[in-house]
Amino acid sequence: MSDNRPASLRRRTLLATAMAGVASTSLPAIAQDKPKLRLGVALPLTGSQALFGTDQVRAAQWGAEDINRKGGVNGQPLEMIVQDTQADPQTGINAFNHLIGVDKVPVIAVAWSSVVQATAPVATRDTTLALSIGASSTKVAHLGDYVYTTYPLANVDVTALAKYVYNTLGKRTGAVLYINNESGLEGGRVFRDVFTQLGGKIVAYEAYDPTATDFTGMLLKVRVADPEIIHIQGLTADTPQVIAQMRQLGMQQRVTSYSAGYNPQLIKQLGAAAEGFIVTSLAPGPGDNPNVAAFIERWKKEMGRAPNGLPYTQYLYDYPYIVSSIYAWLAKNNLPVSGENFRKGLVEIREFDLPMTGKLVVNPDHTVDKPVYLLTVKDGAFVPLATIS
Amino acid sequence: MMLPILAQIFWTGFANAAYYVLFTIAFALIVKVVQLWNFAQAGMMGIAFYTMYTVINFLEWPTWAAFLIGVAVTAAAGLLVEFYGLRTLRRRRSSNLMFFIFTLIFSELIAYVLMFLFGTEPVTLFPSILSPVRIIHGIAVTDWDLTAIAVTSASLIAVWLFLQFHHEGQFLLAVADNGRLAELYGISAQRAYLVAFAIAAVFSCEGMYLFGTRAAVLPTTPNDLMLFAVIGTLLGGMGRLFAAAAAAVVLALVQSYSVLVIASKWQGLVLYGFLFVVIVLFPRGFRLPGFRARRAIPAPTPAQAKV
Repeated sequence: MSDNRPASLRRRTLLATAMAGVASTSLPAIAQDKPKLRLGVALPLTGSQALFGTDQVRAAQWGAEDINRKGGVNGQPLEMIVQDTQADPQTGINAFNHLIGVDKVPVIAVAWSSVVQATAPVATRDTTLALSIGASSTKVAHLGDYVYTTYPLANVDVTALAKYVYNTLGKRTGAVLYINNESGLEGGRVFRDVFTQLGGKIVAYEAYDPTATDFTGMLLKVRVADPEIIHIQGLTADTPQVIAQMRQLGMQQRVTSYSAGYNPQLIKQLGAAAEGFIVTSLAPGPGDNPNVAAFIERWKKEMGRAPNGLPYTQYLYDYPYIVSSIYAWLAKNNLPVSGENFRKGLVEIREFDLPMTGKLVVNPDHTVDKPVYLLTVKDGAFVPLATIS
Repeated sequence: MMLPILAQIFWTGFANAAYYVLFTIAFALIVKVVQLWNFAQAGMMGIAFYTMYTVINFLEWPTWAAFLIGVAVTAAAGLLVEFYGLRTLRRRRSSNLMFFIFTLIFSELIAYVLMFLFGTEPVTLFPSILSPVRIIHGIAVTDWDLTAIAVTSASLIAVWLFLQFHHEGQFLLAVADNGRLAELYGISAQRAYLVAFAIAAVFSCEGMYLFGTRAAVLPTTPNDLMLFAVIGTLLGGMGRLFAAAAAAVVLALVQSYSVLVIASKWQGLVLYGFLFVVIVLFPRGFRLPGFRARRAIPAPTPAQAKV
């Protein structure tokens, strides 16, 4: 279990304990004396992706609190237990082992494609339901009987984006720049294939090192190829740097990215250079669902800011609602709490009506279908551009 | 068509080399004077960046104040390392391996402390990472490029002048040549070590300022940046400060130009390839064909000196 990093471990434990503590202390008195219904969360609380991970944990925590405030599941409160993955596969495996072996949770929410893939064998071995919430790799649908997703996979939003770029924006040549990791490789490939199948031409297809800070050489290759549009399949740290250097080299093409680009920090870092930037979102915005407006207000009131990666936080907020539905189904069918029965419950219920992301249908092939929302940066803010069913 | 591309890669690679040169000079100076492979420099660089980040973003003080405080805090940390770490190891007559382990552990410790204090989100010194740009003869030149080159050039000239003409600088060279002999002449080696750490702090701060205004920094970022400094020092040859700086520029340019022949994702490989080749083929540094170092004049013995 040890990762040979005691300081980090201590910090993760502290954070996880604090999160769990906050979730349980907010329970109403009526539910406190009943056994708690556990649910696990394995997300990055530290590491380069903590910016997103901590906000996602907070959202899930709010979801659990809101359910408990209304009486929990048949009077039983939910208890959320959090472990840090650092968005690192090995640390993710450690987190899963702890949640399953020590905390005895029947279900775990997990994200980041590489972590989901690394932890899938653990979930299968220990017959514990792993719900991937945010990982976009299409491989997630093929990771075994105990791994399901509640989040549409990369081929959904990137496919919709590539179609929008070709059909609606009328672009015929494009470039794809992708970070050399799992999500970058997958998303970049999907954009290239869909755009090409539609009749478009990918004139530059370049991967960059995750630790790179100078993208000049790669961008100059793209500049020579002169695409009409540039798609970046990167992460929160590198995407703004790529765009900044692109603009400084005089490249004014419109830029697209996927949901990782939907980050208010990016607009601050790029200023006017972010104008026209298109991102995808797999969750409804405030105009589509009044609960989302209230959710954003809650962030501003309690945290003084909008959440990082709003759509991801919406999906995580809904996670306890999915779990509570399955707990209710188990109680109704007099089935004991186990990972096996949790999986059975998910497959049997199949359709969930969720407060933040709307209707969820879990397909037998371990995928889900959702509308794709496109947003663009206009006057220094993300605004809706189109909704693709 | 190809010439503007080559020129742009040269310019941007050259400008980006600025912070690598600063880190390399800081590293090579300690190697030269203190005779120590100071991997604790990564910790110093982390301290420098996050001190400036705190002063700019939390205290909202002006940039010049942030830089001065950054230098002061980094230098203080360097002096603490020298006083309480390295001197203790010297007193114990510890092996080179122990010095190496100490500096490495110090950097890791600092990285974890910084993670604890500042979290692990990537941050930049200022909210915007965009720099005004102008096109000169078809080449995009940013204000950042000009600042980086100017700061680095001025720093190199300053350190050269210091070493050549200031008595403290000459003491550094004397200690670097032969510490025991220098002490016989009344030069304090300990003082020279402290001065070397202070200069390294200034260079580390300048480098992290330039890096942090262009790219996002994590507490572990300095560890990655150190690789350049190590290879530059090896390639330039032990004790040859300005050759190490030149090597850092060459490395940065080779890495930038490598994108023309290999995929961008393999650019990192170039550095490790260099490190391997240098260690195997040029353990005493690379010298241009026909270039011969000035023969060092044998230092006088104490008896000769007295005469």
